[in-house]
Amino acid sequence: METTAIKSKFEFNDNVLSFFNKSFYYLESFSTLKIDTLNKYDAIILDARDVEFARIILKKFRSHSNIEFYLKPIFLINTKTNNDPLLKELVDGTIISFDQIPETINDINQISIKTAQLESSNSNSFEVQLFKKVLNYMFTRETNTFTPHPDINSSIGYCFPTISVNFETFEEAKVLDLLEWAEKENLIWPDFLDRVYLCSNCKNGHLSYREICPNCDSANMRSEDLVHHFPCGYIGAISDFRNNVDTVLNCPKCSKNLRHIGVDYDKPSIINHCQNCNEVFQDYLVKAKCAHCKTDTDVQFLLSKNINVYKLTKKGRTAAVGGISASDFTLSDEIFGTVNLKTFATMMHYEQERIKTNPTLSANIVIIYIENIFDLYRKIGKSKERELLAEFVNIVRDGITPADFICINNPSILSVCINDVALNDAQLRVMKITDKLEELVYNNFEGFALNVFTQTVQLSKEQSFDKQLHVLIKEIVEKG
Amino acid sequence: MIDAFDEFLNYITTVGPLKLLRIFWFFVYFEFARFFVFELAVVVVWKLREPARKILYSNARRRLFIERPLVSIIVPGKNEGLHIYKLANSLKEQTYSNFEFIVIDDGSDDDTERICKSLQKNGFIDLFLRNDVRGGKASAANLGYRFSKGKIIVHLDADCSYDNDAIEKIIIPFYLDDNVGAVGGNILVRNYRENLCTTLQAIEYSDTISVGRITSSALGIYRVVSGAFGAFTREALDRVGGWDIGPGLDGDITVKLRKLKYRIVFEPEAICQTSVPNSFKKLIKQRLRWDKSIIRFRVRKHRDVFYPNETFSFSNFISSAENITYNLLLNIKWWVYLFDMAINYTSLLKFIFPFNILLYTANNFLKFIIFSLFRNRKNAPVIYFIPYLPCMVIYFGFYLRFVRTVAYIQEFFFKRSYKDVWNPQKSSAHAKELGI
Repeated sequence: METTAIKSKFEFNDNVLSFFNKSFYYLESFSTLKIDTLNKYDAIILDARDVEFARIILKKFRSHSNIEFYLKPIFLINTKTNNDPLLKELVDGTIISFDQIPETINDINQISIKTAQLESSNSNSFEVQLFKKVLNYMFTRETNTFTPHPDINSSIGYCFPTISVNFETFEEAKVLDLLEWAEKENLIWPDFLDRVYLCSNCKNGHLSYREICPNCDSANMRSEDLVHHFPCGYIGAISDFRNNVDTVLNCPKCSKNLRHIGVDYDKPSIINHCQNCNEVFQDYLVKAKCAHCKTDTDVQFLLSKNINVYKLTKKGRTAAVGGISASDFTLSDEIFGTVNLKTFATMMHYEQERIKTNPTLSANIVIIYIENIFDLYRKIGKSKERELLAEFVNIVRDGITPADFICINNPSILSVCINDVALNDAQLRVMKITDKLEELVYNNFEGFALNVFTQTVQLSKEQSFDKQLHVLIKEIVEKG
Repeated sequence: MIDAFDEFLNYITTVGPLKLLRIFWFFVYFEFARFFVFELAVVVVWKLREPARKILYSNARRRLFIERPLVSIIVPGKNEGLHIYKLANSLKEQTYSNFEFIVIDDGSDDDTERICKSLQKNGFIDLFLRNDVRGGKASAANLGYRFSKGKIIVHLDADCSYDNDAIEKIIIPFYLDDNVGAVGGNILVRNYRENLCTTLQAIEYSDTISVGRITSSALGIYRVVSGAFGAFTREALDRVGGWDIGPGLDGDITVKLRKLKYRIVFEPEAICQTSVPNSFKKLIKQRLRWDKSIIRFRVRKHRDVFYPNETFSFSNFISSAENITYNLLLNIKWWVYLFDMAINYTSLLKFIFPFNILLYTANNFLKFIIFSLFRNRKNAPVIYFIPYLPCMVIYFGFYLRFVRTVAYIQEFFFKRSYKDVWNPQKSSAHAKELGI
C-alpha cells in the first residue's frame, strides 16, 4: 500500500487513519497487531492480501468476549477472490483503496447507534451468553438469518460464520448444538437445507466411507459378476467361466461356450470375495472412518444432523436487544449445595439483620469471577459445563464452613457468603480456593490457564445487599 | 336299494373266483399285489432288520459327531421371506450345530430381500445371496451350492419346518455307507387338519410316499430325493454339476447320481413338515408339474438307463422301469381296464363299479392301519384319518389318475413342462432345444 498516497488525504500515523472524527486502524500483518489496544478505534481496516492472516484476525475479533471487540466494524482491503465464508459474512464491507474510507462512515455510525441500543443482560449460561453475543452482532448488522456455508475447514462440512467464529473448526458440531438449543428456546426457526453425517464419537464430519468385508472388516476385496448359464442352470462367478487359453467364457458344468448375454446367459448379480479372510458375500458393510478420532463406525450408527437455514423468530429479534430468558436454566437448582440469586439475596438480608444485633458478628461477601470460563466451556460442551461447575462448587464448599452459602450468579460468577470470620481470614480462604480452581482446570484440560479474579469485602450493615452485589460484580468484571 | 344290494351280493357269491379275477384283475394284480402285499413284505423285512440297523446307526452317529463336518444348508426360493424367519428359528434348535445356513433369493419381488438381509445381520443367516433376475430354482440351488463350504449340502424348502434332530438324522446315512451320495428326508403334512384336500394328501404322504420310499430305499431303487428335504455329499454334487433345470429337478438329480453308482437312501427318521396345497385346484397344478417330469426325465432325458451300455445298472433299470410301469403304464392300463369292462361287461358294470370301490376302500383301510404300525412318527393318531379313508378311492383312484393322465398327454404330445412358469422361459427354451 502506498502510504504516501494515503497521507495526502488522511492523517496516517503508525497504522492509524483519522477521517473526520473517526479513527481507523489499518491491520496488515502480525507485526502491526496490538489487539488489546484496538477497542479504542472506531473501525478496523483489515488487509486481506494474506487470506489466512485476515481469517485469523477476524476470528480474534468476532470471537472475543468483549462487546467492544466482537462488534467492531471491520472492513477488508486488498481482497482477492475467495470463497471463505468467514471473510464474506463477518466483515462490514470491502474497500478497494483507502479512498473509499468515507463510504464506510455511514455503516460505522449505524453500527454504533445499534450498539448503543443493546441492553446488557446478566446472562447465566454458556448458551445464553454466546447466543446473546451472536444476536447482538446480528442486530447491529441488521441481519436475521443464519445461513450455513459449505466449508472445507469446518469439521462438519458446513459453517455458520456468525456462530462458528466462536468455536474452533474442529468443534463445529457445537454450533449445531447451540442452534438446536436456540430452536428449542424458540429463538430461531429452521428451514431444511441439507443433512450431514457425523462421527458418533467426536461429531466430526470428515469421514472416509469404505466398503468392507462383513466378516473381518477388511476393505481388501474383489467383486465379480455372477453368471447364470441358462441351458444347464450353472451359476457362479465369472472367473469360473474363464480359461487360460482365450477370452471365451466356457461353462464349467456343460463346457459350452457362452455366446450371447440375455440369450444363453445373463449376469443376475455380483459376488464379493474378501482377499483378507476369503469370505464370500454379496452385500458388503459400509463403514465410515473418522479422520479426527479414527473411530470406525457402521454408517447406520453415524450421527445424522440436519443443516438448516435459521431465521430469527419474534422472540429471537426481541432477545437480540433485550436479552434471553432461557426456559431451562436454573443452575442452582441443578447443582447441589448452591442457592439461586433470589434466595441468596434473602439470606444476605437476614445476615445483615443478624450482624446488626451484635457488633462482634461479621459476614463477608466473596465474588469469584472466572474471566475466561467461556473459552473453556466452548471446548468441553454443554454437558461438561454442568459437571465442571459442580466441581467448582465442591472446591468452594471444601474451603468454607457448612454455615456459609454459595450462589451461582452465572457460570462465570459465584457469590459466597463467609460468616463470622475476619476479612483477612476470608481472603486467605478465597486465595486457597482460587489456587485449587486453577489447579483443577490446569490438570484436567491440557494446561488451560483459568483467569480467576476475586473480591472479598465485609458485608455492609447499611447499604442494601443488591446494591453491594451490583457494585462488586461491576468492579470485578471491569478488573477482568 | 335293498333289492339292488341283494342282487349285488347274490352276484358276488355266485360268480366263481376265476371270473372275479377276470373282472377285477387290475386291482388284484397291481393295486393289491404291488402296493400292499409286496410293500408289506418289504417293510416287514425292513422292520425285522431294525435291531441290527440300530447298532450300525449308533456307530455312524458316533462317527458323525467325532468328525463334525460342516454342513451347508441351502434354501433357494422366490418370495419366501416370510417363511425364512421360522425356518431359521427351527434350525437354531438343531441337535447338529456345525452348519452354515445359506438362503438364495431367486429374484423376489416382495420383502424377501429386506427380511433376509436383516436376518443375516442378526446372525440367523450365514450367507444371503440374491439374483436380481430370476433364474429358476435350479440356478438358485446351484448358486447356493457354488458358494457353500460344507462337506455335505442339505437342500431345504423355505416353507417347511424340521424336527430338531432332522439335520443330524439326514446326514447319519452318509456315515453308514461311504457310497451314499444322497439321502432323502421324510415329509409329513403340517396342515393336514386344514380341509379335506390337505387331509387326503396327508394320508397319501404317509401311505404312498413315506412307506413307498421306505420300500424303494430298502430295495435300492429309491428314485426321488425330495427338494424339500434332501442331503447330498459335495463330492456327488460336484460330479453331477449340481441341479439341472426343472420342473422335476429333484428326481432328475437323483437319477444322475444313481447313474454314477451312488447309493441313494431314504431316512424315515429325518422329519420335515410341509404345507401342502389347500385346494384341489392348486393341487392339480402341483401334480401336473410332478407328473410331467416322469415323461420328461424318465422317458426322455434318462432313457439311457434302459440301454445296455457301460453305465448300465440293474437297480437303475428297475428303479426307472418300476416308476414308468406303475405310474405311466398302469395309468394307461387303468383306462384300458375301464374300456375292457365297459365293452365286455356292460351289463355287469352296475356290480363291477361298486365292488371295485369296495375293494379299494377295504384295501385302503387295511394298508393304512397295517402300515401305521411301521411308522414311528405320525402327524396325528390313526383314528383321526379313519373317517377320511373312504374318500381316498375317489381321490387316488379317480382324481389323481385323471390329473396324471392329463399331465402325461400334455408332456408326451406337447412338451408342456417347458412352458411351465415355474421355470423362467429363458432357461426352459434352452432345455427344450437340448432335450433336457
